[in-house]
Amino acid sequence: MRKVRKALKPVSLLMAIFMLVLCTPCQTVLARMIPTETVLDAARVDAARTQVSTFLARQDVVDVLVSQGIDPAEATARIAGLSDAEVVRLADRIEQLPAGGDTFATIVIASIVIFVILLITDIMGFTDIFPFVKKKRI
Amino acid sequence: MKAASVRLLAVAILTVILFGCAGKTGIGWPRPEGRLPDPYLIAEIPFYPQKVHQCGPAALAMALNWSGVAASPQEVAEQVFTPARKGSLQSAMVAAVRRNDRIAFLLAEPADLIDEIAAGHPVIVLQNLGLSWVPVWHYAVVVGWNATAGEVILHSGTTSFKPTAFATFERTWARSSFWGLMVLPPSRLPAAAQEADYLAAVSPLEGMGRWQTAMRAYRSALERWPDSLPATVGIGVCLYGLGALESAEVHFRDAIEHFPGEGVLFNNLAQVLLDQGRRDEALDAVRQAIECGGPLKAHFEQTLKEIRNH
Repeated sequence: MRKVRKALKPVSLLMAIFMLVLCTPCQTVLARMIPTETVLDAARVDAARTQVSTFLARQDVVDVLVSQGIDPAEATARIAGLSDAEVVRLADRIEQLPAGGDTFATIVIASIVIFVILLITDIMGFTDIFPFVKKKRI
Repeated sequence: MKAASVRLLAVAILTVILFGCAGKTGIGWPRPEGRLPDPYLIAEIPFYPQKVHQCGPAALAMALNWSGVAASPQEVAEQVFTPARKGSLQSAMVAAVRRNDRIAFLLAEPADLIDEIAAGHPVIVLQNLGLSWVPVWHYAVVVGWNATAGEVILHSGTTSFKPTAFATFERTWARSSFWGLMVLPPSRLPAAAQEADYLAAVSPLEGMGRWQTAMRAYRSALERWPDSLPATVGIGVCLYGLGALESAEVHFRDAIEHFPGEGVLFNNLAQVLLDQGRRDEALDAVRQAIECGGPLKAHFEQTLKEIRNH
């Protein structure tokens, strides 16, 4: 088995490079001109932050936060500390949730989001709730 | 604190499991008495029978030819087929579309399949024709349906116009998480697309320096979304990339009137002015960009620095 693994090492390295070449778009250098991709990314981050803050302002979400002993203002402050990529990921997760309706669905939805929020902040090292999260070393 | 978080975790996991099982595709299959003829078929999509393991090249060649690119499955195979994998990676398929100056647009939702086929756009789908633990991945092209018989019609493998029951198709397509790829010429917009998604599909072409194609696609986007700032920026960047400095300058100046307070337009205008040797005007423009502020302010400040050092 080890012999097979050893033989496949250069192949897998080659595959990795091959895939990297396939997947990395070749960026034509335009000096100081700002390309459309950058504009789109900035717009997405902006939209994401709005989506997240709107979500946290919902009464049903606030109710669940409070019932879990989390100060909504504290949750907002922690979200503000997330990087652009993390906020976009969080907003994507919120978007995927089914639209609020009956009470059970709402509670379930809020629980998932809180789980995600707490998980992210745990990874960031702001909280220490989940023992399975390895702390980020600064 | 610990007991509460364990409870929370349990609730979260349970609900994730529940939601996972409840998944619905949401595909609204057409009815026979709808406004389209039945059976309904997309016109002018050629059929290429696949070679062994080469369903990817065959499917992509069909879609490319429909979109106006004369490419044979052999030529496409060179761009997508990975012999060691005996197949074509999805990322390679997408990249190949772009290398052929076409827009690669992935379906946002499975339900969009119906809208796109109804609009006459063929869709390349990835199916798992085997079992989840013994997958048989296969690319096919959806070319129509027979609503009376309850079947999708595919160009698949070595069979043209192959009928597959709706439910069977949904099941095999679901295993790829409903991966669906359209190959669009820049003059044709997807039937069901959000502005941001379409522009995100075009911007890689701009990044690759395919100025004409990208510009044409951005113009198409402006027809549907006339207030799109990114599409407007895109056209200007492409004009600049083509070396049409005067046109680029006019374009950015017009855009500034249409979108006041958008620093990116001032920044890009500055670059055009600098290239024309108008350094002082360029400095003015980039300073106006910085005044506009916004999330890209750091970029504008960098531009200012570089113009100063020019």
